[in-house]
Amino acid sequence: MRNDRDPTIAPLPATIIGLKTLSADTALFRLTLENSEGDRFDFNPGQFIQLSVPSGGEVPISLAGPPRLHNSFEVCVRRVGHVTDMLHRLLPGDRLGVRGPFGNGFPLGEWTGRNILLIAGGLGIAPLRSLLYALLMQREGFGEITLMYGAREPSAILFKEELAELSGRRDMHLFLTVDFAQEESPSGLACNTGLLPTLLRGVNFGTTNTVAAVCGPPALYRCILEELQELGIPAEHIYLSLERRMKCGVGLCCHCAVGDLFCCSDGPVFSYSQLKGISGAI
Amino acid sequence: MTRNLLKHDSVSDFLEILATFGELHGPVLTEDGVTAFRPLGPGIDLFLTYDRTLIPPKKYLLPPRDTVLTFAPDEDYRLPVAAVSETILVGLHPCDLQGIAYLDKVFMGDRIDPLYHARRTALTLIGLSCEPDENCFCGDLSAAETHGCDLFMRQLPDGFSLRDNTPKGTAILNRLTPILAEGEPPEAASRTCAMAAAIQQASARGETYGESALWDEFAGRCLSCGACSLCCPTCYCFDVREYGALDGETTMRLREWDNCLFKDHGEVAGGFNFRKSRQERFQYRYRHKYLGFGPTRGIVSCVGCGRCRVVCPVGIDLLELFKEHDDEKRP
Ligand SMILES: Cc1cc2nc3c(=O)[nH]c(=O)nc-3n(C[C@H](O)[C@H](O)[C@H](O)COP(=O)(O)OP(=O)(O)OC[C@H]3O[C@@H](n4cnc5c(N)ncnc54)[C@H](O)[C@@H]3O)c2cc1C
Ligand code: SF4
Ligand code: SF4
Ligand code: FES
Repeated sequence: MRNDRDPTIAPLPATIIGLKTLSADTALFRLTLENSEGDRFDFNPGQFIQLSVPSGGEVPISLAGPPRLHNSFEVCVRRVGHVTDMLHRLLPGDRLGVRGPFGNGFPLGEWTGRNILLIAGGLGIAPLRSLLYALLMQREGFGEITLMYGAREPSAILFKEELAELSGRRDMHLFLTVDFAQEESPSGLACNTGLLPTLLRGVNFGTTNTVAAVCGPPALYRCILEELQELGIPAEHIYLSLERRMKCGVGLCCHCAVGDLFCCSDGPVFSYSQLKGISGAI
Repeated sequence: MTRNLLKHDSVSDFLEILATFGELHGPVLTEDGVTAFRPLGPGIDLFLTYDRTLIPPKKYLLPPRDTVLTFAPDEDYRLPVAAVSETILVGLHPCDLQGIAYLDKVFMGDRIDPLYHARRTALTLIGLSCEPDENCFCGDLSAAETHGCDLFMRQLPDGFSLRDNTPKGTAILNRLTPILAEGEPPEAASRTCAMAAAIQQASARGETYGESALWDEFAGRCLSCGACSLCCPTCYCFDVREYGALDGETTMRLREWDNCLFKDHGEVAGGFNFRKSRQERFQYRYRHKYLGFGPTRGIVSCVGCGRCRVVCPVGIDLLELFKEHDDEKRP
């Protein structure tokens, strides 16, 4: 029955139960849904929610935490404008509205047995963090797992403590890079200087049978897709999560159209082979 | 012979009976000389020999501004309690009926939009046959002229022959019997249009005419005023905005007609724009109209009403693309 309680239409009330500042403009929010269904909020990494800040409006935000967390989920939000500003002024105990999860997410099921390369630029780490945790939760199902994460500068690196922990793990590789190395060092983490494509070129890892998942600003896609293909990863094994200003989230408002696809309902995750011929997609 | 002929001198009785089914709306010529769908009533004449209205009937299903949610701290977000009243829309041309059928696919397909659905079920559609003018290109619509309308009126020299298509239509027809005369069973006239056929073919081929020099020409003239999409019976894309009340606590979320020809349509946070140039926006609209998007992929959404050709202040006519293509093929 589609009615007030249908979370695709009317946002369900949610409460902020955790809040952690990650950088000057970015914070991690832990939310819980107030309804009885809230004790299980299932999603696939790469899916997003439409997050409502009362009086502000609604914005699409990736689910950033591991899936199937009991009773809560995490979103990592950067303050860039009207709604995200208002969100950043809220505190634990404050209430929000949540619709979703929406979109397709990364097709983990198809990746069994493959090497996985995650490439995150800036805030693109949000959905890929979720993906990484999901991969690690079923670690034996995949080959090598590599995360390459690039940030503008050391202070913009998100999830520093977690990255430090991950860098100690033997069952995955972690590479960090910053565009500019200024005074601050990224809290003891081994970190390169330069853009992600440069990092990619300088690193040796198995590229046969590899699937790449990329998330970041449009500029990142433009420069990294060629590199990935040169490394031998075919277009159909490169997955990108696209950003559009979404309004409805469910394929009605046409705001997120990419060619004849909708980013909200056909995506936001697309394989590069799906997007190749579409002008204005990337 | 069936009792289905509405003679010209019975039209006012017809409207009176229709009005008992709901609020009666139809095409009228306004004081400003604009043809518009308006409420009918005493002193407001139904204008049945019109060519096209400025604003299409989509306004009855998707008002230009529509409250989609309300918020109050103790109620959270709620669907508005929509006060939808039964409305009878009389005098819709086949192209506009087809426009509504297209919107039905979008808003009542896999995912039913509750607001649209409520309005649509409260809307009775009475179609009217028409004579094309030089701006129309609706093609074979006549063959399927009823397009889900409840009752269809075919113009005849002495009046209209009526045909019911739905239970709602039958209920109305039954009530009309006393004022109807014996007439021939209505026959759907078929009308073909070369332009409509060319569009269908181009769409089937997925043709976007990407190389045409006309894009530059169009984009060079276009003012991005958005009139062509505003008046299009199948353009439905919307923006969503939230307006807080003065109390600082309650808010309303509205959806408002939007326009893909406006620059901010393709913008994302941080100011990056996926369709920065006018040309890109122009081609984007073309793609959507003729090739379809999302769930309506492959369905041509241009119903050939000709409104966009009529309203464009700088005389841009997308049909030139198809004409150009046609000319190339001729020896
Ligand atoms: C699938 C998906 C997942 C996402 N995941 C995340 C995530 O995990 N975390 C995250 O932080 N973000 C994420 N985003 C991006 C996020 O949705 C946007 O940052 C958010 O919508 C910004 O909303 P806002 O109201 O705060 O900003 P807005 O007020 O919309 O402004 C955004 C920026 O655009 C500018 N702007 C707004 N309107 C105009 C205009 N008319 N002309 C010029 N400039 C304008 C503003 O100045 C501002 O810098 C995601 C987006 C998508 C599509
Ligand atoms: S594109 Fe133009 S002719 Fe086609 S339906 Fe829209 S307004 Fe009418
Ligand atoms: S009506 Fe004409 S000028 Fe205005 S946006 Fe459409 S094509 Fe451009
Ligand atoms: S956000 Fe509305 S169609 Fe995708």
